[in-house]
Parts: sequence; C-alpha cells; structure tokens
Amino acid sequence: MTIPEDFKTRLKIAKSKIEKEVQSDSEKRGSFMGSAFKLGTELVASVAVGTIIGFILDTWFDTKPWLIIIFFFLGAAAGMLNVIRTANRMQKKE
Amino acid sequence: MANNPMQQFIVHKIGPEIKIAGIDLSFTNASLFMVISTSIILLFLFFGTKEKKIIPDKIQLVAEMFYSFVAKMINDTAGSKAKPYFPFIFSLFMFVLFCNMIGMLPYSFTVTSHIIVTLILALFIFIAVTIIGFAKHGFKYLSIFVPSGVPAVLLPLITIIEIISYLSRPVSLSVRLFANMMAGHTMLKVFGGFVISLGILGGWLPLGFSVALTGLEILVAFLQAYVFAILTCIYLNDALNLHH
Repeated sequence: MTIPEDFKTRLKIAKSKIEKEVQSDSEKRGSFMGSAFKLGTELVASVAVGTIIGFILDTWFDTKPWLIIIFFFLGAAAGMLNVIRTANRMQKKE
Repeated sequence: MANNPMQQFIVHKIGPEIKIAGIDLSFTNASLFMVISTSIILLFLFFGTKEKKIIPDKIQLVAEMFYSFVAKMINDTAGSKAKPYFPFIFSLFMFVLFCNMIGMLPYSFTVTSHIIVTLILALFIFIAVTIIGFAKHGFKYLSIFVPSGVPAVLLPLITIIEIISYLSRPVSLSVRLFANMMAGHTMLKVFGGFVISLGILGGWLPLGFSVALTGLEILVAFLQAYVFAILTCIYLNDALNLHH
C-alpha cells in the first residue's frame, strides 16, 4: 500500500490541528468530570477500609474498641489525602 | 415487568445447572450479557479493522477513534513505559463500556451493576499492579508508602495512612462503578413506575424526567468506563515510575 506524498503532509497538518483542539476543549472537560465523579467514593472507600482494618486488628489483639476508633480516623485522613492528590492532579493538567 | 425497581438486578439461571467440585458454574443471564457484549466488541473490531483503507469508512473510523482515545489516555497518564499494557487497558475499557451501554437497552441486564463483577475486575488490577511494581523495582516498591520530606516523628503515622490509601484502591474502584450503575438503573425504573401509577394525567412529568435521566445515564455509562480505565493507568503509572 503506497500513500501519496501530498496526502501525508495533509494528514500531518490535520493531526496537529486536531491535537490542539482536543487538548483545549472536550477532552479536558471529560477528564475533569471523571475526576469529579471520582472524589466522592475516594473519600468513603478509605474510611471504610480503615475501619475494616481496625476491626480486624481489634479482634486479633483483643483491644476492642480502641483500634477501630484510631483506624477510623486514619482512614478518614487517608481519604483526605486521596482527595487532595486528585485535586492536585487536576490542577497540574490545567 | 414487575413494579419492583430492584427486579432488574436478579440473576437467574439459563439452561441446566452445572456444578463442578461444589461450585455453581451454571450459565446465568449475567453470563449471557457478558458473552453478548464481548461478541459485539469482537464483531465491531473485526469489521472495523477488516479493510484497512487510507480514507476510513464509518465503522473503521469509530474503531480507530477508540484505539487512539485509549492510546492517548495511556500515554498522557502513564507515559511511554506503559505501552506494553495497552492491550489489557483497551480490553478493560471496551468491556466496561459495552457492558454499561448494553445495560442501557430496555429488557437487558447490566453486568457492571453487580459488585462481584466490578470487585473482581478491580482486585485483578490491584494485584496485577502490585506484582508489576514489585517485579520492576523489587523491595524498593515499598517506598511508595514512605513519602519524601516528612519529619521522622510523623513517619509511622503517614506510612499507615499511605497503606490504608493504597488498600482502598480496589474498594473505591469497584464501588464507584457498581454504585453509579446500580443507582442510575434503579432511578430509571422508579421514574418509570411513577409514569404508570400517575396515569395519563400526571404521568407526563416523570416521563420527561425518564427521558432526561436516560441521557444522563448514557453519559455516566461512558464516564464510568473512562474513569475505570484512567484509574488503572494512574495506578500503573505509580507502579512503573516510582516517585511522587
């Protein structure tokens, strides 16, 4: 299959144009929306995982209810961390 | 259709019961719709790439769009090192997208609205990424739990928080997809039920809502597939390029 030279240059120009446009508009909005949908579950999942870890450790070491309380807050902190990271990533893309 | 909005999520057997070593392996409507979406993807990509024209026809154009979309996403989030994982992420994206989209058809079954399906996908990604991380960096991979520039006093605390945040990845990945799909489909059915119970006089408002929600659900179906794939890329990026 041979590609004519004229077509190659036209393709190159068209490609560079598309890249610029896509970058500036729709794709960015799409990825922002994706990140926005992400944030909520990120926060909840970390709290849940932290609490579950605390519960398991509590039954292991027989220290009810202290570790579950500590790990609940650690999980909340991890959730915040995740949200901040996602927000930073969104800002970097801008 | 029954009035129960959760009726659509019931898994039932199709055909004979198959039991191997005490595990129920019967063919269900969930398996049926997985097979349907996989075959649609295969057929679509087969016809999309059959004739490789310079000036593509419509189906080839769409296939190429999907290809370049995923390739660009991988390149942007995980860099060129992630190129070998393109086939996996592409299949993952297409599978989730087509399962979501086929779930939008009336009388169909949404595979991704079951947490077991999304959890297995997410756990597979989680374990694979962890193995890739250890294979590429050895025990240095553990350094993602120890961020740089933290005072020594806070280090144990931060490490625990980082470990929790790492372990929460499969949970948030699976719960997000499952919850979005299930909530959306339940809502559609609830509004559909309102149309019937309010009758010809009052039913027009929920009918309008139903139409608008269907549009929203199609957006969510695409977006969740996109988020699922892009998060896989981000996790892969953490495993491949080890630093923060």
